[in-house]
Amino acid sequence: MHLRDRQAIVFSLVFPIAFMLVFGFTTGNRDPIELGVVNNARSELADEFIKTLNDNPLFSVTEGGEEDLRTALIEGDSKMVLILPAEFQDTDSGSRLRLLVDLAQTRQLSLIMPVFEKALVTVERDLRNTRPMFSLSVEDVKARSQSYIDFLIPGLLAFTLMQISISGSGFNIVEYRRKGILKRLFVTPIQPRDFIMGLVLARLLLIVVQLSVLLGIAVFFLDVTIVGDFASLYFVIVLSAVIFLSLGFCLGSIAKTQQAIMAMGNLFIFPQMFLSGIFFPIDSLPELVQPLASLLPLSFVANALREIASNGLSLLEILPELTGITVWLVGGFLLATRLFVWKEFAS
Amino acid sequence: MTQSGHGVKTGLCFPLDSNFEGIEVMREKMGIVETKNLSKKYAKPENKAEYFYAVNGLSLVIEAGEIYGILGPNGAGKTTTLEMLEGLIDIDGGEAYIDGINVETHPFAIKQIIGVQLQDNEYFDRLSLTELLNLFCALYHRPAEPRSLLAKVNLTDKALAKPADLSGGQKQRFSIACALANEPKVLFLDEPTTGLDPQAKHNLWDLARELNSGGVTILLTTHNMDEAETLCHRIAIMDHGKIIAEDTPQNLIEKYAPEPPVALRHGNMEDVFLALTGSALRD
Repeated sequence: MHLRDRQAIVFSLVFPIAFMLVFGFTTGNRDPIELGVVNNARSELADEFIKTLNDNPLFSVTEGGEEDLRTALIEGDSKMVLILPAEFQDTDSGSRLRLLVDLAQTRQLSLIMPVFEKALVTVERDLRNTRPMFSLSVEDVKARSQSYIDFLIPGLLAFTLMQISISGSGFNIVEYRRKGILKRLFVTPIQPRDFIMGLVLARLLLIVVQLSVLLGIAVFFLDVTIVGDFASLYFVIVLSAVIFLSLGFCLGSIAKTQQAIMAMGNLFIFPQMFLSGIFFPIDSLPELVQPLASLLPLSFVANALREIASNGLSLLEILPELTGITVWLVGGFLLATRLFVWKEFAS
Repeated sequence: MTQSGHGVKTGLCFPLDSNFEGIEVMREKMGIVETKNLSKKYAKPENKAEYFYAVNGLSLVIEAGEIYGILGPNGAGKTTTLEMLEGLIDIDGGEAYIDGINVETHPFAIKQIIGVQLQDNEYFDRLSLTELLNLFCALYHRPAEPRSLLAKVNLTDKALAKPADLSGGQKQRFSIACALANEPKVLFLDEPTTGLDPQAKHNLWDLARELNSGGVTILLTTHNMDEAETLCHRIAIMDHGKIIAEDTPQNLIEKYAPEPPVALRHGNMEDVFLALTGSALRD
């Protein structure tokens, strides 16, 4: 009967599909940083320095007066302003360059500073006519082409899986209880365990179909390569769906109203969206958070799916993730049967 | 499912699951529904440390084949009593037996032999009546017979409708059809005619009588005094969790009703209403 709620089924897929398309059709290249340069030196050296910056794809350089560029910075039209002092010239005394930034808007400062320094070093070398002692060339050892979308798709699958599972069980349970449907079922000889299993199986079928649609779009329209085998992928998907359906039941058993289950669902879903390596790897989180984040159910699921889909690992090779998934699975199901209540809560 | 009553000392036959073995059935001496000192306490809303008794030492005996009504003001403990007997809420004190089976220790055996109509009767709203009845039959591991159930409550033409499409009276009748899925020995009706128009109400009374003459014991709660008087064989009046009077309607009237004033009117408002609008069912 959940199958008859076509609106819910279709709309639950809109977000992940839109997300996939947005990331699938953008090149993944970073937009250049708008850099304002105030040239107070007007020397040959300064021109050369600015040219070096201009040649770097990381920057899009605008020259101008300090006042104008400062305003542009404050209004957000430019990300940072570099001021070349009047004494910017070939001396051994060293020059001080001022960099104006709006720290509230710029998070990549640590990324940009080395580039500036490198530009400065290059200019210096040219002037002193020295050659660099070392050079670095990057070679990709991975034989297959991997882009952000390949990283994103397994994460997005995991996230969608969590979201539709939680709403499929938790939200419905609260509705059924509010309407007294659960109470009516409770005066028949059905066991809570059977009821939960029945609902889980029904939802599971639907979830597998929904994820197949997503996977199909990713593979056929976005050229995402699934390296591992589909059987392992679906195995993990099914286990994971049972985890989140069970956890949804737990939430649904605690929540008394639709509003409460909404709030709880968000509390469950959103932190995991950011902490579980869906859109960016867990490694990029603060170190303090990492151990905790990697224990979240979605982390195990996203990792497992990614290892299979993008890296082609077999089930045996992802034993740590599978162990995590199994622990959440058993714990979640036991907790769900334990917490499950048929009745409207006594007022 | 095993069909014979193995493990039941009296050897009476009713559908049993294997996990119902060893039930002590003491049917000969008992009414089909029997409670002894049944109690339910709740924390007081204003002070959680204190309790009040929603049902306070209630003892009653209902004989097989009776239509037994429980009357009482709101909050008297009628629904709480029913819900304890149905296994919906825990029994805090005393004992309850249905068909000789202890409600507290064998709730699933009880659920096999009772049919329940709750006060608010909502169902999965995307299933048709037929599908819902199939579901209820399946819950009792019984062959699905939605047609005959719908025929019993006169809803055959609504077989493909959704519960939301039904009128109040039809909803109540459908609710009874669901309660009949397991051919119950005892049928619990919680305020079955509340909110129904007189036609639907009379129709539901006819249905109750018909089921009762087919052998079903009916335990109902009501605020409708006509219903209590004309439908019930015996009535218990509850207040503050206790039965304050119990007898046949006629005896209760003779005992408690004040002497009638000199009769001036013939009939009552309902007679007027039915005379003007006819007694045909309006659903």
